Amino acid sequence: MTATTDTAEQSAPTEGKRSFLEPIWIGRAIALVAGVLLLAYPVLSDDIYYQNMIILSLIFAVGTSGLNIISGFAGYISLGQGAFLGLGGYTVGVLAARNEDVTVWWWIPAAGVVAGLVALVLGFVSLRSRGPAFVIITVAFLFLVQVIAVNWVSLTNGTAGLTLPLPTWDRDIMNWPFYYVLCAILGAQLLMTWWIRRTKLGMGLIAIREDETKAATIGINLPVQKITAFVMSTFFVGMAGGVYGYYLTFIDPRGMFSILLSVQLVLSLLIGGKATLWGPVIGAFLIEYLNEYANNDLGGGNVRLFLFGGLLVVVVIFLPKGILPAIESLLMRRRTAGKAGLVGARIGSGGSLASITDRVQLVDRSQIPDRPLLEVKDLRKAFGGVQAVDGASFAVPEGSITGLIGPNGSGKTTIFNLIDNTIAADSGEIWLAGERIDRLPSWSRAHRGLGRTFQLTRLFGEMTVLENVVAAQRSFSVAGLGKVAVSGAEGRAAEELLEYVGMRAFRDQKAHALSYGQQKLVELAQILMLDPKVILLDEPAGGINPVLIDRMSEMIRELNSYGKTFLIVEHNMPFILGLCDPIHVLARGKRMATGDAHEIQNDPAVIDAYLGDDFQLEEKAGTP
Amino acid sequence: MTEFLQNLLLGILLGGVYALAAGGLTLIFGVMRVINIAHGAFLVLASFITYTLWDVLGIDPLLAILITTPVIGALGWVTYKVLVAPIRTAPMASTVLLTFGLALVVEGAMGEIWGNNSTAIRPSYGDESFAFAGLYLPKAQLYGGLVAVLVLVALWAILTKTWLGRAIRAAAINPSSAELVGIKVTSVAALVFALGIAAAGAGGAITGILYPFVPGSHYQWIARLLAIVVLGGMGSLNGAVLGALLFGVAETMTSAYVSPSWATAVPYAIVFAVLLVRPQGLLGTRMREDAVMA
Repeated sequence: MTATTDTAEQSAPTEGKRSFLEPIWIGRAIALVAGVLLLAYPVLSDDIYYQNMIILSLIFAVGTSGLNIISGFAGYISLGQGAFLGLGGYTVGVLAARNEDVTVWWWIPAAGVVAGLVALVLGFVSLRSRGPAFVIITVAFLFLVQVIAVNWVSLTNGTAGLTLPLPTWDRDIMNWPFYYVLCAILGAQLLMTWWIRRTKLGMGLIAIREDETKAATIGINLPVQKITAFVMSTFFVGMAGGVYGYYLTFIDPRGMFSILLSVQLVLSLLIGGKATLWGPVIGAFLIEYLNEYANNDLGGGNVRLFLFGGLLVVVVIFLPKGILPAIESLLMRRRTAGKAGLVGARIGSGGSLASITDRVQLVDRSQIPDRPLLEVKDLRKAFGGVQAVDGASFAVPEGSITGLIGPNGSGKTTIFNLIDNTIAADSGEIWLAGERIDRLPSWSRAHRGLGRTFQLTRLFGEMTVLENVVAAQRSFSVAGLGKVAVSGAEGRAAEELLEYVGMRAFRDQKAHALSYGQQKLVELAQILMLDPKVILLDEPAGGINPVLIDRMSEMIRELNSYGKTFLIVEHNMPFILGLCDPIHVLARGKRMATGDAHEIQNDPAVIDAYLGDDFQLEEKAGTP
Repeated sequence: MTEFLQNLLLGILLGGVYALAAGGLTLIFGVMRVINIAHGAFLVLASFITYTLWDVLGIDPLLAILITTPVIGALGWVTYKVLVAPIRTAPMASTVLLTFGLALVVEGAMGEIWGNNSTAIRPSYGDESFAFAGLYLPKAQLYGGLVAVLVLVALWAILTKTWLGRAIRAAAINPSSAELVGIKVTSVAALVFALGIAAAGAGGAITGILYPFVPGSHYQWIARLLAIVVLGGMGSLNGAVLGALLFGVAETMTSAYVSPSWATAVPYAIVFAVLLVRPQGLLGTRMREDAVMA
């Protein structure tokens, strides 16, 4: 603890003399003034041109802020966001046309519900899997809705469009109801964004953006989080779309489901800044202003295409982070100029597990039942024609430090990947503490007590060290998503674990700034946060210095004395032989020997396999 | 029955043209992990260039492919060098947005140059058909389909029979190792981009005869081509061909037996269905994630 205080002060030089000239206070003051001006504007000025522009900006600000949740936080870019504005508009249009005696405002919440429900269905289709398919689906979705709106004439009146009832209120305050309802919707949207960012949901989404596979292995339920985020990113947007339709008083498929609307939203998000609270709002106002300018002063049409297209290209290449984050990092650089970075600081000497009260207890080794805690049976996995794992079976006794060795390509890491479902096995069984887990997704395996580090460390680069550790979720419940991202108890637990691995001084550093060895230690702390029964370490001693290797084996031993079971893949033979019992030897995807260090060292078959395999590999390389 | 057979045949011919354009898209994705949203825009651009060659210079549109294709290919090469290369290492979403922006710019440019009115290329044989065993085959469709197959075979030959093809496949499988054995991956990538977009150009020259077009047609094209590529399995050339044939037939059948206006919904419905049932597409394989990390 004492070793870390001086560096902690360096990292927060302004602590204690917080003044109102801090960027955060300047930012808040600007937001407050802008908010007041926005609310007062229609009262102060009756310039219809600017009122119209602000109303449209408000609508797009809601759309962009919604988009920010799925695209900014979770990293899934959607080109179909405009469709939810359109769906909202059509919901209100269709309902209002059929219920003429009811005021249109009643249908605005219904527009939000419809948008949310459609997002739910679309999310089930598109967010169960991962990767580039989502953006394609969102485009396809947009066009599909447009085609339906054109063809389902009995509901939507086709290309002829729908006319909504005219506003019934006094002409003097013509735009006020639209204006203030939209302000309220934007307020609700921003409140939701703010709330998401500080909950488990938001942290999980950012983890998904950074590394989805890794996120699953530390207990983050991917589909639930992504689909929840997607629904939340559309609800208020649907409502804003409803107001949009009412405001326009006329909607048709071409206007409401135009792809340019979606482009405008994406552009606003990119310009303003992804994953920020105010960035989407700033972006939406800026782009809508440009849009009006292009339409009214430059002739619209093709000019608008040049403007949007050109801006998109320029922003992606030159301003990938957006305005707000760019300003933030500029200010940060000016504030920290001349101060030494922390990344080169010494790794702490490490703490003792005895000080960690929350999650570990010393166990009486005689009480540990003599049974396998983790067991794989006849596990198989082929990559094309290569049978990487070919009927591997072995057990990890409870309370043991089990080693898994074998020549390169013998299937060690693949077996790890199969055990935690980073890749799916072709066949075979995996048992953890008497329960069969091979049908479970990664996060459920993590919740049942499986923790795993990666050969090449996989931390969430844009998150701080502390956030990385806290991101691990020991259990899952829908209600749990709404909990504060870093509760006091969790923060303390994470700090204790970081102290234990000697990385506490780095808690506020971004993970990508750490060295490889430091990342290994943080990843270990992260896994420990799961309080796993069995810990799979993939080359814990690879690529780190000898002192750290000693520290690593010391920690493994200590954790083991507190009841943690280990399965370790490693090429450093002294490390493995000194630490592990039993040791399984793998060759060509299956277990060929098991024994303690002495037996393995003297097993002729093992010696032969190591040499023999290498010779065969060389032969094979000549004849592809 | 005859009518059904005729529709089937027309669908297959149409599928051949689709295969050509989609092949370029899937090639670019397979080698560079870039989803080129501007693909449809380049295709429509090729239609317009072909139109001008035919309208002003009187060159037969199918012959004009020999000019259009290299021109569009060169544009693809420039696009890669100027726009895509600077963000080669960015996440895939960035290139999606970048090429989308490019598509909008190209759309705007086409609108400025050729106007936003519906344009059609009508060569002398545009209204003629072959009558054969009770079937009527429009000449334009038949010629177009055959030319598409020819170009596709040429593309396939380049990819499988030449050094360039081997270099492309090596760069696709493992870029860093490809560098080690003397393949300049950036140059190969630029060539692939050029080749893929040239294929879209050849496709655009042909479809210009089959359908009237406006600058905004590119949205429908990219939706169609993405649907084909997703259907076949992203990155798989054989998959794209198979997907295109199925797609051409499905679209022709829907428009013949359901209604032409719903035929436009076919691509989107297919994308949904495929991704729901088999996210990796018909001939796609799930990639091994752990090995490509390093």
